[in-house]
Amino acid sequence: MQFIQALVDGILLGGVYAVISIGLTLVFGVISIVNFAQGEFLMVGMFVAYFAWQSFGLDPLLGSLLSFAVAFALGVLVQKFLISRVLQAPPVAQIFLTVGLLIVMENLALILFGSQFRSVQTAYQMTAFRVGPLLLSAPYVFAFLVAAAAGMGLWWVLKKTWWGRAVRATAQDPMAARLAGIPTERMHQIAFGLGVGMTALGGGIILPYLTASTTVGAQFSVLMFTAVVLGGLGSVLGAVVGGIAVGVIQSLSALVLPIQLQNLALFAVFIAVLAMRPEGLLKRVSA
Amino acid sequence: MHKPFRDARLGRRQFVAGMGAVALAAAMPKGLRAAPAEVNVGVILPLSGANAQFGINSRQGIELVADEINAAGGIAGLGGARIKLIVADSTSQPTSAATVAQRLITQNRCVAILGAYASSLTLAVSEVTERRGIPLLTMSFSDVLTERGFKNLFQVVSKASVLGKAQFDYAAAVMSGAEQVRRIALMYEDTAYGTSQAVGVREAAKAAGVEIVMDEAYPLGITDVTPLINKLRGSGAQLVYPISYLNDSLLIIRVMRQQQLTMPVVGGAAGYVIPDFAKALGPYAEGVLSIAPANYDQKPEYTERYRKRYGTFMPHEALEHAVCLGVLAAALDIAKSDKPQDVAKALRGPKFDQGWAGVMSGGGVQFDETGLNTLAQPVMVQWQKGELVTVWPKELAKGKVIQAS
Repeated sequence: MQFIQALVDGILLGGVYAVISIGLTLVFGVISIVNFAQGEFLMVGMFVAYFAWQSFGLDPLLGSLLSFAVAFALGVLVQKFLISRVLQAPPVAQIFLTVGLLIVMENLALILFGSQFRSVQTAYQMTAFRVGPLLLSAPYVFAFLVAAAAGMGLWWVLKKTWWGRAVRATAQDPMAARLAGIPTERMHQIAFGLGVGMTALGGGIILPYLTASTTVGAQFSVLMFTAVVLGGLGSVLGAVVGGIAVGVIQSLSALVLPIQLQNLALFAVFIAVLAMRPEGLLKRVSA
Repeated sequence: MHKPFRDARLGRRQFVAGMGAVALAAAMPKGLRAAPAEVNVGVILPLSGANAQFGINSRQGIELVADEINAAGGIAGLGGARIKLIVADSTSQPTSAATVAQRLITQNRCVAILGAYASSLTLAVSEVTERRGIPLLTMSFSDVLTERGFKNLFQVVSKASVLGKAQFDYAAAVMSGAEQVRRIALMYEDTAYGTSQAVGVREAAKAAGVEIVMDEAYPLGITDVTPLINKLRGSGAQLVYPISYLNDSLLIIRVMRQQQLTMPVVGGAAGYVIPDFAKALGPYAEGVLSIAPANYDQKPEYTERYRKRYGTFMPHEALEHAVCLGVLAAALDIAKSDKPQDVAKALRGPKFDQGWAGVMSGGGVQFDETGLNTLAQPVMVQWQKGELVTVWPKELAKGKVIQAS
């Protein structure tokens, strides 16, 4: 019974990790850049949802849409004015840029918002659903549902719309895409915006159970990178599988190991997977 | 006494004269110089990262006292020298705390250092201050602080093991039906503070013949406590003793309420006794008990000044840091010197119970040879309508315990 409870908790948690990681993998898959500042967009998302709650009483689950919109706009600007300049540059320059962005965003947030922790109060925060012998935390369930809806929405956009197809074409072969009349720079901007937007949305939906702070990005960055590499860098489905795997491993490890060693179990599995399948659990399918 | 800086505001001629005086003072040999116009007090606190909220509260407490002392004419024993705070952010990482301490001491001539709230940070800072021979006044709990035979460390609060013991014993004293409690759960964050305080709870429980059915450490910065609370639910504990900072305390209470666990919670200070706890949990904070090394309702004539300035009640870390500065000011007055070694000497021995020094529960501060405040007296507090009320020990209690959860 404990096992099933832990498994379900892990899946719920993993769903949120998945939606956060999709953003990172999308940016890598389409633009071929590793965005170290991705975690800071989660922080931005948390603060947008927090202020929407504080000013207008908007529930963070709805506020997360606002988070998405703000981060999308921010992402387009970042791609247009910063990332696009280093696309042809050596990888070291790209790393400097995104790590620099991370430091600037974190410290800007510290200046603007201070380092206090901010927490929302919602009605469902203290409730759980009883399903047979299982107890499902309401904020986890809601976060999972929104994450799933967002993930499917993104999938639909990428698969079914012209814009989505154009983004995927750009990912596959930028030169051919340009020859076919696709404005690849615009596609990069959209992909970056979508990527950081998804992560920011993830920041909004975790607000009912986590406190917003300016340094929250670092906490999730490691998990995000683990999930993405575990699933296979650049693959959206891989990020979903990786995210859920991270949640489940963390949750299940607590059954046999002290909670202190939660991340030890995670990284032990991580190293094992990388040793046996360096390309990740799933091979790169498509962006 | 001639005060060149004050004159500088008056006009151009006086300003020039003042500058002349400054130049003259600088040219004078050290021994002849008059008492310093200001003394530097270093303040090292976690102003960012996981423990930022506590660092901010602490800084506010220190600033309040510094401003009060300066407004009242500075340190009399030093010819009215003003207190100048030099605040540095230790972040929440012990490694950077040591570096920051090093830099602060090298770049500024400080008479003493106050900080660094979290035990793990204070341990790191104290290695530096001890080496440099600069007194460090702290309100961190860890037992290790005063166990290393340091000459320049002063702990104004009770040790963690004493607080842990009180956390257990006081809870048994205030709760009706405490005799029936046979099984308890203990969970704590795994840095210096949590681990040393857990020792106290564990030993007190053992002494009382109570079984600890759950004894679990978890990492600082934990983001999912569900596994922890699942364990608690399965453990059959009648009472739970969590020792946490802010985020973890909120997570623990929320997930407990989600799972409808109603056993009483007896927190271990830190996250359970700051305004943000009630702000985040609202009505769910009501009735939560916690141990605290001091509480603001003991000396409201002092602590209400904090509320007036900052809008919340004075959290214990702000109060104890205020006490640290109060004690330091008194010691400077006695020492009549701004040399760190003279200050350290003056700190040891006398009983400080005037002004802010007397706000400490137990009525004051007196350091023994290890640097521990022998007068410190832990109190048990309970959340009642958004305020912390001292409910035990009896002679300090300001209200009755409410039996609700």
